[in-house]
Amino acid sequence: MCFLVLPFSGLFRVISLCGQNLRATGCDVKKFGLAVFIILLATIAGMAVDAPAVELRFNRDVLPILAENCFACHGFDEVAREADLRLDTMQGAFESGVVVAGDPKASPLIERINSNDPSDQMPPPESGKQLTETQREILQQWVLQGAEYEKHWSFQSPRRSEPPSVPNARHPIDRFVLSRLSESGLTPSPSAGPSTLIRRVCLDLIGLPPTLAEIEQFNDDFARNPEIAWQTLVDRLLSSPHYGERWGRWWLDQARYADSNGYSIDSPRSIWRYREWVVDALNQGMSFDQFTIEQLAGDLLPDATIGQQVATGFHRNTQINQEGGIDREQYRIDSIFDRVATTGTVWMGLTIGCAQCHDHKFDPIKQEEFYQLFAFFNDQDEPSIKVYDPDLDVSELTAQRKQAEKNLGAYFVTHAEEQIDWEASLDEEAKKKLPSKVSKALAVEATKRNLVQKLEIASVWRGNDHQEFARLKKRYDELNRAFSNAPTTLVLRERATPRKTTVLIKGDFTRPAHEVTPGTPAILHPFKSAQERPNRLDLARWLVSPDNPLTARVIVNRVWQQYFGRGLVDTENDFGLLGARPTHRELLDWLAIKFIDGGWDLKSLHRFIVTSHTYRQSSAFRDDLSKVDAENRLLARQQRLRLDAEIVRDVALVACGQLSSQLGGPPVYPPIPSAVMSQGQVRRSWKASTGADRYRRGLYTFVYRATPPPSLNVFDAPDGYSSCTRRNRSNTPLQSLALMNDAAFFEFAQSLKRIIEKGGLEDAFRSCTGRQPDESELHLLRPLDSLTAARVLLNLDETITRE
Amino acid sequence: MTRPLNPFQDQTRRHFFSQCGVGVGSAALATMLGERRVAAKDQVESPLAPKPSHFPGKAKNVIFLFMAGGPSQLEMFENKPDLTKLNGQPIPDSFVDGKRFAFMDSSHRRNLLASRRTFKRYGKSGAWVCDLLPKTAEIVDEISIVKTCKAELFNHAPAKLFMNTGSGQFGRPSMGSWVTYGIGSECQDLPGFMVLQSGPRGPRGGAVLWGSGMLPSTYQGVPLRNQGDPILNLSTPSSVTADQQRQLVETVGKLNLKRLVATGDDEIATRINAYEMAYQMQTSAPELMDIRDESQETLDLYGIQDPQQASFARNCLLARRLVERGVRFIQLYDTNWDHHGGSTETLEKHFPSKCRDIDQPGAALIRDLKRRGLLDETIVIWGGEFGRTPMGEVRQFTGRNHHIDAFTMWLAGGGIKPGQVYGKTDEFGFGAIENPVHVHDLHATVLHLLGLDHEQLTYRFQGRDFRLTDVHGQVVEGLLA
Repeated sequence: MCFLVLPFSGLFRVISLCGQNLRATGCDVKKFGLAVFIILLATIAGMAVDAPAVELRFNRDVLPILAENCFACHGFDEVAREADLRLDTMQGAFESGVVVAGDPKASPLIERINSNDPSDQMPPPESGKQLTETQREILQQWVLQGAEYEKHWSFQSPRRSEPPSVPNARHPIDRFVLSRLSESGLTPSPSAGPSTLIRRVCLDLIGLPPTLAEIEQFNDDFARNPEIAWQTLVDRLLSSPHYGERWGRWWLDQARYADSNGYSIDSPRSIWRYREWVVDALNQGMSFDQFTIEQLAGDLLPDATIGQQVATGFHRNTQINQEGGIDREQYRIDSIFDRVATTGTVWMGLTIGCAQCHDHKFDPIKQEEFYQLFAFFNDQDEPSIKVYDPDLDVSELTAQRKQAEKNLGAYFVTHAEEQIDWEASLDEEAKKKLPSKVSKALAVEATKRNLVQKLEIASVWRGNDHQEFARLKKRYDELNRAFSNAPTTLVLRERATPRKTTVLIKGDFTRPAHEVTPGTPAILHPFKSAQERPNRLDLARWLVSPDNPLTARVIVNRVWQQYFGRGLVDTENDFGLLGARPTHRELLDWLAIKFIDGGWDLKSLHRFIVTSHTYRQSSAFRDDLSKVDAENRLLARQQRLRLDAEIVRDVALVACGQLSSQLGGPPVYPPIPSAVMSQGQVRRSWKASTGADRYRRGLYTFVYRATPPPSLNVFDAPDGYSSCTRRNRSNTPLQSLALMNDAAFFEFAQSLKRIIEKGGLEDAFRSCTGRQPDESELHLLRPLDSLTAARVLLNLDETITRE
Repeated sequence: MTRPLNPFQDQTRRHFFSQCGVGVGSAALATMLGERRVAAKDQVESPLAPKPSHFPGKAKNVIFLFMAGGPSQLEMFENKPDLTKLNGQPIPDSFVDGKRFAFMDSSHRRNLLASRRTFKRYGKSGAWVCDLLPKTAEIVDEISIVKTCKAELFNHAPAKLFMNTGSGQFGRPSMGSWVTYGIGSECQDLPGFMVLQSGPRGPRGGAVLWGSGMLPSTYQGVPLRNQGDPILNLSTPSSVTADQQRQLVETVGKLNLKRLVATGDDEIATRINAYEMAYQMQTSAPELMDIRDESQETLDLYGIQDPQQASFARNCLLARRLVERGVRFIQLYDTNWDHHGGSTETLEKHFPSKCRDIDQPGAALIRDLKRRGLLDETIVIWGGEFGRTPMGEVRQFTGRNHHIDAFTMWLAGGGIKPGQVYGKTDEFGFGAIENPVHVHDLHATVLHLLGLDHEQLTYRFQGRDFRLTDVHGQVVEGLLA
């Protein structure tokens, strides 16, 4: 963009001179001149894509310049503030006299940004920041127009608007998108063909490609009535249990889920019940506000169910340092820092973590407010709980175990004398031979022994020879096993007495400052609590309050991003002052309001997006777009997207007919290359699963944070160290090596080879790409032996891409 | 104007065609593309293609010899007669008051421990070097010995992360990732950032030490493995012939090309390129590892006894071979430098053996690079995550604890001033009294030598611009030639 500005700098001067002359002659002319100027300026600077500019708007035009170049020293952060000047508020700019509304000449701000004297110039040369000529012009015009400030767009409530009327478009999304396209003189792309469409929507909604039978069925339905065929397909997919797997992974990325404790020791942990909870909640269509409340504060709900407790695993996905010689408090604090930052990122799309050491440099979040949020997360214990099979009657089982204990107790009473005799019979030699636990139990006075100690002694005294004892012991063991077989999962639990929370100077846990109580940032909607000391439940409810200007927008945007490769707000994790402006503000707001009004229903949101024409367009690149909108921000076409790491695997599994579609359960260990596990500090074992567990979806692969499974890692699966709100989509030779040579993919190819030999090349091609190969493609494949052909198909760019 | 978030998603891709493609070839690709679109995209860029630096740099490559565990500067480069004089006496309170130490509660001791070694001065710089490093002593006029390195974390894993990523937090990009992200690599048939290991086990922290953090995985360090495939998945499956593998790559290329023409998506061109590079890697990586073409004289220079056997010496030679091939950033980890004084970690027995492992190969690397004209463009860094305390730990044998206030590293080549000792420490070697060099400063300096401004080399993630030096770091002018 910059390089375009340079050749026109002369023109700018002409125009700005024009502006001055016109100003002298009268108001109307001035406005006219300004409008022309702005349009030219916007066009030249490439802003035509953003909006047809008629008048400078603070948030859109001015704020980004100030935020990027000025706020680091003249912004919200008091400590970093230079010359006691803040430009992020109208008051600061005006009272200091730095800005004189309507009079650029009298405004030191304008003088300083135009200065050539390095000691005077702003931003100072040593900051490495430099305003472009366009930016200086904009600031000057803004001052001239009266230097009005606006509240940052995302801190204002979403605005209701009517979708624009556009010929031939009924769907609200299409109306917003088309209206914007036509402003730029662009037309949308035609709908993609049925085989592309079914593969696209299957991958997007359930993360699995369609089978040959499903493709054929859809093609037939589509030929009869495309619209009905589409609605039917979408409904079927949204009620598939695989929907929860696909969108569960989307959420687990944000939850930084993995199966180990992280840091250097990285021992395995059991928290997959949380993963299962997420998948189930999405499948059951739990509303997003409830989904939020249960994860942030499920334990605080009245009569919290096991599921609601399990849900609090969201914030137990932090790392645990098990290294020797560490200060545990330091790492407990670190995990709370992570919880605050993650909550900020996931729900608010704000970089609250930046206020850990100082007031936020750009956004109006004080360091104290960071610690007020911190206070919500400082009052928990971090236990793990057992999660019993729902079919198990835990109270009945508990009663039975009590009975078994009683029976054993009675047995010991009945046989007490025999036991005393036996003990007395032990000579020194025999005593030496006793296992240490037994000796220890014997050392306890007979009347003070507990059941475990009695059983230790009985293991020698009775051995296996006494039928009655053996029967009682067996029952007792069985019941204990029934309890211990239940998997554990990590949860949060509120402490009876809260901890004292203070601001930590520079985020250093050894430097506490003044005490703070739980609270939320003042810039956002008011926080309410019925209790004296607000807790996480209040925070969760505050986050999903309809008054919250951020949460719905942030979530809707992050869902949108999955479908188009980028959000309506490009910086999906930063809706703050340094974040990108929305490309379609009205659409984003419209979707956010619809989301809230419709009861935070994610499935409805998905259905709504995928039934638009915008979603169904062809993703083919267009020459006419490459210059005006190369990045497809205006959505004149769909976007080809390389599949997520797990789905790269899943697609191969489906294509070769090997996928085990079993849902849920503990993580599995598909084969990985040898020696991978020795990359960590502690060598972890990886006993490859056998049977169907070798062929489970990528979602179920056990993930060690320090030594992630290479074939997932190479395709950018997140590392689980921090919340991941958007995956990278890299494209590297190591990916090629994995698809060509990795033992698992080679095994898939061997299965696909059998499909080729049985059903022919065309079937195999369609299993991989969803479409019929053309003659020239078959011509390239036919000369190959069937194994090589199978490997080719699994390696195609198209196979690992959603078109 | 927002900055690009990620070169794969946000930049309009410049395109780069591989010069030596198998099968498809650049000409065919260009022709077919031409049918579809003109001029708009005439080059496909590999993410690892060389990129212009911020300003002309003196160095092109980096070799980082990482002594994992924390080598004792007081037994290598720091000659402190006062330590000998006051051996066994407590260190004065003024040194330690208010400081936190590793393992404070368990085994930390306050009594000074005299160096276990003897020292002599060498070279024009008159640098002190101990008796265990005779070959290093011979190259002191080629290197800058920095006495005053300073770190912030004293547990192994966080400290190693700190030395590599400028942060003790997991999930940040390593220096090698930053460098390849910044300026790509000159080598298109091997990864731009490679990691070699020697010693009995992996370094504490493991693979995160060469992780790319929030940067795309393209920039991750790739371990060159001592056994099996040198690079993961490098070998063609055993039942597949070379012919079949070639057919695979060729046909994938041709079919991808058709899809590129049909969809116009540049990403496919990048993938075609990736397959060609992967295929070349299948040949180039084994060639790299096969050191039979090295002369006996060279093997002797490094002290390589058995060319098949993994060792620090062989890794040093491989590092030179990687630099010759244009690989940008090479890191060697040698483990077991943690000499606390336990029965397998003594300063008397185990420490000397570690010194013998690294002395000759490290010095040979400098000499070999120099005689091949590669030293000028290659920065060599030697050091660990921290040093050791002047106070002794008396367990069964003698040893020292972790120390972060002042420790020694050396740097050479690539614009580093040769033949100097930089920085001064106090009479016990406890802290710096002149020219401290913080890890952030070290990072800033290395980036500077590569033509990168550490404040400009940023990556936006979760709404923040991250950099290797966080919000710190100053180029150490005194280290520049």
